[in-house]
Amino acid sequence: MNMIKVVISDIASMEHLNVVSFLCGKDELRMMSLDLDEKMKVGREVYVGTKASNISLAKDLSGLISLSNQLLCKVEAIDHGSLLCSVTLKYHDVLLESVITEASVEKMGLVVGEVVTALIKASELSIVEGYDA
Amino acid sequence: MQLRVKLNLKTGSFIAISGESGSGKSTLLRILAGLEEATGEISVGDAQWQGKNFLLPPQKRDIGFVFQDYALFENMNVLENLLFVVKDKALAEELLELTHLSALKNRYPNTLSGGQKQRVALCRALMKRPKLLLLDEPLSALDPKIRTQLQGDILKLHKRFKTTTLMVSHDPSEIYRLAESVVLLDKGFVQEVTTPKKLFLKTQGSQKFALQGEIVEIISVDVIFIAVVAIGQQLVEVVLDRHEAKMFHAGDSVKVSTKAFAPTLTKLL
Repeated sequence: MNMIKVVISDIASMEHLNVVSFLCGKDELRMMSLDLDEKMKVGREVYVGTKASNISLAKDLSGLISLSNQLLCKVEAIDHGSLLCSVTLKYHDVLLESVITEASVEKMGLVVGEVVTALIKASELSIVEGYDA
Repeated sequence: MQLRVKLNLKTGSFIAISGESGSGKSTLLRILAGLEEATGEISVGDAQWQGKNFLLPPQKRDIGFVFQDYALFENMNVLENLLFVVKDKALAEELLELTHLSALKNRYPNTLSGGQKQRVALCRALMKRPKLLLLDEPLSALDPKIRTQLQGDILKLHKRFKTTTLMVSHDPSEIYRLAESVVLLDKGFVQEVTTPKKLFLKTQGSQKFALQGEIVEIISVDVIFIAVVAIGQQLVEVVLDRHEAKMFHAGDSVKVSTKAFAPTLTKLL
């Protein structure tokens, strides 16, 4: 599980549903969630996480896109498999892993050292229990 | 085993009693009914049922009791079974109507299905307009479809008569559907009084879809890993990245979780 240390900056609630915003440095991240633990309040530091297969990558991203979480990262390493590819990304001082298809890596001409945008849907980001910052 | 219980129940509420076998669930109901000896106090509304040197006999307690086995009078038809308790024909007819038994009122118990018999037993338990309805795993002998129907009937009767109800059950879905609070007994002690959702909804951080299982094997494929996890009688597969794969081994007990937004439901035929 990829984990990023963040601070809760806003909680918008409606009955059992919440949209939680986080700050990581100046970047804003957002998560859809059902009922939240009472401990989750604005100002609290937490780790948010997502699976490697939930991180998409974009290069020269332009136009409008609904994805809430867009993280500028540097490609640290690329582990080529036959069908899939594991891309290690550096975001601030944390390493994230994205698993995408080898075909996508080829299509994008992805190489180590370049800057990409890591994209995570708000419904695929969660607060990780047991890693309270 | 010692059973030590102190509980205050709101009039008109529906409370489930849950816990392992032998935790004292049925014994608690039997004590309330006066069928089992115990020391202490039992008060229901303004009436005292048990106190120091005082024990109200079972037949004088305003109680309806339904067990797993139907215990109907085989020599009486459905309506007679109800009227045997109290000769209130209007109430009997209403109860039978609410539980869709009106058409069967002249039938004898040995011609009824398990679900129908248990509905009769429920109606009969309410004929005295009891202060307390005690249900001891009333649906556990029935198959799942009939069980769901009877849960609906129990809910309907509870809404209509607002009888304070205590139900022993092992079934999380049943407890969630029927009870507003649940008492968890452990080795004779009240471990927790909480809501069904708080007791049964397993979570992992903010993830609301969590199940416990055991890793059967971890397979390496290309740049990813697949953990095969046994959950109950089923196997599921979870894709791991290489860092996650290093943390787990076959035989590990694990929690499998995902966000409530991810799973898809498909109706079983």
